[in-house]
Amino acid sequence: MDPKVNGQLQNEWGGLIALYLFLGGVGGGAYTIAAINSFLGKSMELSTTIGLWIGFPALFIGCLFLLADLGNPGKFFLAGLKPGTSWIARGTGIISLFMVFSFIHLVLHQFTEVSKTSVGMNTIAVLGIIFAVFTIAYTGLLLSASKGIPFWRSGIVPVVFVISGLVTGHFLTIIGMVIFNEGAKTVSQFSTMALEASVVVVVEVLAILFFLNAAYKQPDSRESVERIMQKTIFIVGYFILGLGVPLVLMLILRYALNESGLNTVLAVAFIGALLGLIGGFLLRLAILVCGALPTLNMGGFQFRRIAKPKDLKPGIGLMPPK
Amino acid sequence: MIDNTKVKEDVWIPTCCGQCYCMCGIKVRRQDGVVTQIEGNPDAPTGRGSICVKGLASPHLLYDPYRVNYPLKRTNPEKGLGVDPKWERISWEEALDTIVKKLKECQERDPRGVFFQATTTQASEIRFGVIGFMKAFGTPNYWVSGGGLHCGNGAHFMNGIMHVSWSIIPDFAHCNYALNFGCSKGHGAGHVAVQNATQVADARFRGFKNVVFDPFMSAQASKGHEWVPIRVGTDGALALGLVNSLINEHGIYDAEYLMYKTNSPYLIRPSDGRYMRDKETNNPQVWDLVDNTPKVHNDPSVTRVEYEDEAHEVALTGTYNVDGVDCQPAFELLKEHVKKYTPEYVEEITWVPAATVSRIAKEFGEAAEIGSTVTIETENGPKKIPRRPVATHFFRGAQGHTNSGWTCLSIDMVNHIVGAADTYGSALGLGGTVQDGYKKTGKPYQIPYPCPDGLLKAKAWVYDHIPYPLREPKQPTRLDLHDMFPTSIYNAFTICSPKWFDILERFKIPYRPDVMINFGSNSVMTMGNAEAVTENFLKKFKFIFSFQLYITEFEEAVADIVLPDACYLERFTPAVSFPSTFSHPQGEDDWGWTIRQPVIEPLYERRDFNKVMLDISKRCGILGKYYKGLNDAIPMRYGGEMEEKNKLVEDGSVEHTWEDVCDRLVRDRFGDEHDLEYFKKRGLFTWPKRKEDVYWKWFNPSRVPVYFEYFIDSGEKIAKLWDEYKGNDFFKFDWSRFKALADWYPCPTHTEKDPEYDMHTFYWRAVAHCNSLTQQNPYLDECAQEDPHVYAVQMHQDTAAEKGIKDGDFVWLENPQGHKVKGWVSLCEGIEPKHLAIAAVAGHWGKFMPIAKGKGVFFNDLVEMDLEHTDPLTFNQDICCRVKIYKAD
Amino acid sequence: MPQYGMVIDLKRCYGCYACVMACKVKNHTPPEVFWARLLKGERGKFPNTMRQALPVLCMHCEEPSCLEVCPTGATQKLDNGIVIVDKDKCMGCKACIMACPYGARYSVDKWESYFPDGLPLSEYEEFAKKYWEEHSGCGVATKCDFCLDLLEEGKLPACVEACAANARTFGDLDDPDSEVSTLIRKYRGEVLNPELGNKPKVYYLAPR
Ligand SMILES: Nc1nc2c(c(=O)[nH]1)N[C@H]1C(S)=C(S)[C@@H](COP(=O)(O)OP(=O)(O)OC[C@H]3O[C@@H](n4cnc5c(=O)[nH]c(N)nc54)[C@H](O)[C@@H]3O)O[C@H]1N2
Ligand SMILES: Nc1nc2c(c(=O)[nH]1)N[C@H]1C(S)=C(S)[C@@H](COP(=O)(O)OP(=O)(O)OC[C@H]3O[C@@H](n4cnc5c(=O)[nH]c(N)nc54)[C@H](O)[C@@H]3O)O[C@H]1N2
Ligand code: SF4
Ligand code: SF4
Ligand code: SF4
Ligand code: SF4
Ligand code: SF4
Ligand SMILES: [Mo]
Repeated sequence: MDPKVNGQLQNEWGGLIALYLFLGGVGGGAYTIAAINSFLGKSMELSTTIGLWIGFPALFIGCLFLLADLGNPGKFFLAGLKPGTSWIARGTGIISLFMVFSFIHLVLHQFTEVSKTSVGMNTIAVLGIIFAVFTIAYTGLLLSASKGIPFWRSGIVPVVFVISGLVTGHFLTIIGMVIFNEGAKTVSQFSTMALEASVVVVVEVLAILFFLNAAYKQPDSRESVERIMQKTIFIVGYFILGLGVPLVLMLILRYALNESGLNTVLAVAFIGALLGLIGGFLLRLAILVCGALPTLNMGGFQFRRIAKPKDLKPGIGLMPPK
Repeated sequence: MIDNTKVKEDVWIPTCCGQCYCMCGIKVRRQDGVVTQIEGNPDAPTGRGSICVKGLASPHLLYDPYRVNYPLKRTNPEKGLGVDPKWERISWEEALDTIVKKLKECQERDPRGVFFQATTTQASEIRFGVIGFMKAFGTPNYWVSGGGLHCGNGAHFMNGIMHVSWSIIPDFAHCNYALNFGCSKGHGAGHVAVQNATQVADARFRGFKNVVFDPFMSAQASKGHEWVPIRVGTDGALALGLVNSLINEHGIYDAEYLMYKTNSPYLIRPSDGRYMRDKETNNPQVWDLVDNTPKVHNDPSVTRVEYEDEAHEVALTGTYNVDGVDCQPAFELLKEHVKKYTPEYVEEITWVPAATVSRIAKEFGEAAEIGSTVTIETENGPKKIPRRPVATHFFRGAQGHTNSGWTCLSIDMVNHIVGAADTYGSALGLGGTVQDGYKKTGKPYQIPYPCPDGLLKAKAWVYDHIPYPLREPKQPTRLDLHDMFPTSIYNAFTICSPKWFDILERFKIPYRPDVMINFGSNSVMTMGNAEAVTENFLKKFKFIFSFQLYITEFEEAVADIVLPDACYLERFTPAVSFPSTFSHPQGEDDWGWTIRQPVIEPLYERRDFNKVMLDISKRCGILGKYYKGLNDAIPMRYGGEMEEKNKLVEDGSVEHTWEDVCDRLVRDRFGDEHDLEYFKKRGLFTWPKRKEDVYWKWFNPSRVPVYFEYFIDSGEKIAKLWDEYKGNDFFKFDWSRFKALADWYPCPTHTEKDPEYDMHTFYWRAVAHCNSLTQQNPYLDECAQEDPHVYAVQMHQDTAAEKGIKDGDFVWLENPQGHKVKGWVSLCEGIEPKHLAIAAVAGHWGKFMPIAKGKGVFFNDLVEMDLEHTDPLTFNQDICCRVKIYKAD
Repeated sequence: MPQYGMVIDLKRCYGCYACVMACKVKNHTPPEVFWARLLKGERGKFPNTMRQALPVLCMHCEEPSCLEVCPTGATQKLDNGIVIVDKDKCMGCKACIMACPYGARYSVDKWESYFPDGLPLSEYEEFAKKYWEEHSGCGVATKCDFCLDLLEEGKLPACVEACAANARTFGDLDDPDSEVSTLIRKYRGEVLNPELGNKPKVYYLAPR
């Protein structure tokens, strides 16, 4: 193979799909956390409420982005026809069920007096969590079922996405809590959320490194790793600003702000969470746009579709020096 | 309104492609009046149903919204590169009025002030509108710009002498081992491209070996049996090295062939290198080894026409005393002469390892199977002929240098040493020029015959530089002094010289460039440095009008009027594949005479060039002469006199339409039943090729030279004439190239001393592009972008690393004269590390070809057009350059 | 039912793009869509370098991963083995494009002219646009269909017909005596990246 020839990257799935994957992750993540927090009872009331309010709409909006990306949205009603093999068809089912459970959960939680610890409520929560995790995982499985993009084909992608979904779910919940904060009494909830978030962020860092390392070892996906490592949105946008900085801020929130005033807490929480959220989106975007097409092997040669030179206008030395 | 929902038209019209001169037979699909698809015509021997990527893509040529559709006139009096012509649409009437007025003024001043420039690509149209008009108007001034200068001047000349053809090619069907010196025959570009591709693929399949000498890994090199990277411009040295190695190292040569089919046995007197001639007949002499006495070359006892003829052996080596003079056979001189091309010396020049030179010579010699024969079926029953399944072949790559003529000859010489010429399995004249015509009419006819000296002569030839015998050098009358130079058709170093008018003055040429008629050529881009071409040459014309499909860089820079021509899908051409240049199936497949016909009426106000030329001639009052011009040209170019009844009426009493001209020509060649109507239905007429025309060598009494005795004479004559004019004040000619034995001469590329200019550069043809035209076809442009190298400068990755250049970087290439071009690099392994390869005639900058604009690299700005960069023998242009490469911002 | 397949002899193929263009002009594919495509490869260090072209198209896999992921049933495998897209069922999710390891699928959002400046379409482009919209369409997945329409007329696929080097052979893989089966057997035809498990029906004969 001509090692200097840049392979072509897929260009069918871009920003809209990244938003869809992201919102699927956020929605599922926020719901999961809310549901878990709901077991913790009153102490996490606000985060539970907010998480429940986020889950369903985030997913719903996400699905709108998916629809917008469809070349022929009029045929969306056919999407669930072949769940036997197609992840989109399965995903349609999973997402629908998740929406159902998260919606019921929200209604029960918010508009009824059903006891938060009742068996019914818990059953709904458990089912909701299962489908929420499936939903996030599904966004990864959608990619890892793409045989045409070796970089995505890895089984680690759904894991990374689930973790990232939990991270971004936390962050969006935190943002909601900042907006709807209930004054000083929320501070302890921030602290709990910050700890949870920090833990998952650390897990995400490990997962992403593991993922990239594994992908780099695969000749077919090496190019994608090389490309993603050169992407500012990935290194700066996601890794530094979207994971590193929020981690630091969350740790500060948890350990250094015990004596600080509410506004400081809110500001740190908000900034950290917002960066983390954007990071989560950029992660998906970067993974999408760095999906290189596979190398085809024949007769000892390796063939790849080449990337068009960015600029085909070299100009000419038309006028010779006088 | 016509209700055309009912007329669902879907027809296939047979005609002929016109995007390169391979002239493949095609079928064009027209659906409801729209051309929608093009395929190969299975009846056409040029490709038997297949065509190339360019042919397939050509509906866009017909419908491109950027085509010129109306006559245009320049309103900005300023001319030059990058000047906006400020075009204004005018009517055909106005255009023709202006043109005829200018022509008439010129005619009064001196009709020779008209200069006809044409594109090589439309060679078949040239034979009518251009030739007829030149003869009628009375001007000798003509050229096909980059065509010939870049390609052909060396090859056509030498292959004409040796094979009566424009080029040579292995008999792919039976050849086992070929040496390719810089040509893509059978691999995309080149000639008879499609049929050759089929043949060479079949050959590869059965184990045919093609050893490819090329500085970069071209399509042919990648499909070859072996790629031997060679330093650009040194093929002649390598070929002479092979000749030396064959004769002197391995002792392999085909004595039979050399004795009876070449002038190898001609005795040469040492005093002046001339033939020993018989006192009585003045014929050259050979030494009869049986009778031990000199004989004239054509004495029946020492000649063999057919292989099975019997004759005495004649001396190829040794020294013989004739009339008191110790003389030697030409072959002996050749044998001695090439001794200096030792494998080691050759390695020094070519960078091909000495051991490789020696090995390849041996492989080639052994594969020739000298002595082997085969029996073929001829009209006169089965005949035994030599079988020589080896060949060397070459074209643009090897000949584009200041050593062009001798290089071409040297490469072909390798064939002649082993008898591998125009016989079974060997190097054949490309396109097959030898033919005895369609049985019923005996036309087109071309059977070569010997001159009194025994050397091969052809009656019909497509050009006026008859390869043999050479014209007498004469006092010049042409603007490029052509009459003085019998070994070339035209040159760039005179007319592109800043001293052009001083030269004309000195050489007593009484007129000056006046009106230029351009048919197609984009000479601003296809010859050399654009500024020199424009400033020194094109701007010297008072008035230029141009038949074009597009407004190219040429029209933008210098044309006063642009006429919208019909493209090949919109016009009639009565003879496309003939004369025999590059449009014939090579080998044993049938002859095919193809025509071109409009598949739709010309769109907008486009008009067929040939019709317009008839019209202009009429308006100039020279129509009768125009007809006479065609009548005179046809026998020469299409092999055989016209029947009286088919001749155009020369007194002008009858006005022939263009269709009538077409009809007369085809009926004259193939009988009344094969009239234009017949051709419209089939697109072509085919008839079987005789085997003895394919493998004509041992059926023909002629010989070819290995010793170019007559060059010495010619050189002396030109030098004398030159000195009469003190020509050396302008150009310091090296007349020593006019000599009898081949040598290799370095190009400026090889003698450059400045270590800064450390890279060699050259160009190659991409399969998806033909010269400067196809870049505007969006399908082809897109296709070219699929190749990592086509629009880039190919560079070896190690060299790039040394220079700190990365893949995709923009660079400047600058020659020692300070001319430079910009492009981006694509790094690879498949190139000799000291070379940079550039594809096509790319890097368009004209505003009116937006698809083409800015794609690729404009190589030709690096090409100098002075004598130093010209082959002093054939005037082929030097198109290898030494450059320095550095990063652009 | 025949099981259609193709054999591409890389020893014959010299990388001329005629198949690419034949497919483009037959199917009137818009910019950047190449159902038939040509990839170029190089290997080895100078001077022991080799270059080779690899023509690719839809492999009409026995186990098409594109079909697996298609949620709507638009992608179908016909009885004769040809994998097609039913444009009326396709919702344009592009999952199949991502799933095809051979890069054989394309989708365009809208039909675009090749020419800049928004000039009125030429008659040829009008025709091409109409043809594309009728036969393939925008917003949906598109791909090589082995020139099904030509097969029905008893003709060969356009790319096969165009190849001057006769590098492409088309026929019935189920028939052991067909030209394709014979070539595969005799010259040990291989498929691209067999490890993917798609079981392509386009076979290649080795370049050397
Ligand atoms: N860098 C570089 N330079 C080269 C070459 C190269 O490969 N690279 N090749 C060299 C060689 S070998 C040659 S032969 C020359 C060729 O040089 P040219 O003879 O100038 O040929 P083209 O570049 O093909 O230009 C053909 C022109 O004719 C026009 N044309 C095409 N068809 C028709 C028609 O039917 N009617 C009319 N009126 N016009 C038509 C096209 O629009 C185009 O402008 O270039 C030489 N120069
Ligand atoms: N596709 C396509 N076909 C064409 C044309 C076209 O433009 N495109 N043009 C037509 C015309 S006008 C012509 S003249 C013919 C020309 O046809 P060819 O003569 O076959 O043309 P090129 O591809 O220019 O040259 C052949 C090879 O020579 C190599 N080469 C360059 N310099 C040297 C050298 O010094 N020594 C050696 N050994 N190799 C060298 C180049 O790398 C290239 O691979 O093609 C005709 N057919
Ligand atoms: S080889 Fe030349 S004549 Fe033949 S189809 Fe291609 S462009 Fe046309
Ligand atoms: S047409 Fe034939 S030779 Fe040309 S690239 Fe395609 S398969 Fe290869
Ligand atoms: S090559 Fe791709 S598109 Fe074609 S059948 Fe196989 S997976 Fe599907
Ligand atoms: S784009 Fe169409 S064919 Fe492809 S998977 Fe989606 S619905 Fe199926
Ligand atoms: S079979 Fe038909 S559709 Fe498929 S690549 Fe060949 S020409 Fe294109
Ligand atoms: Mo040429």
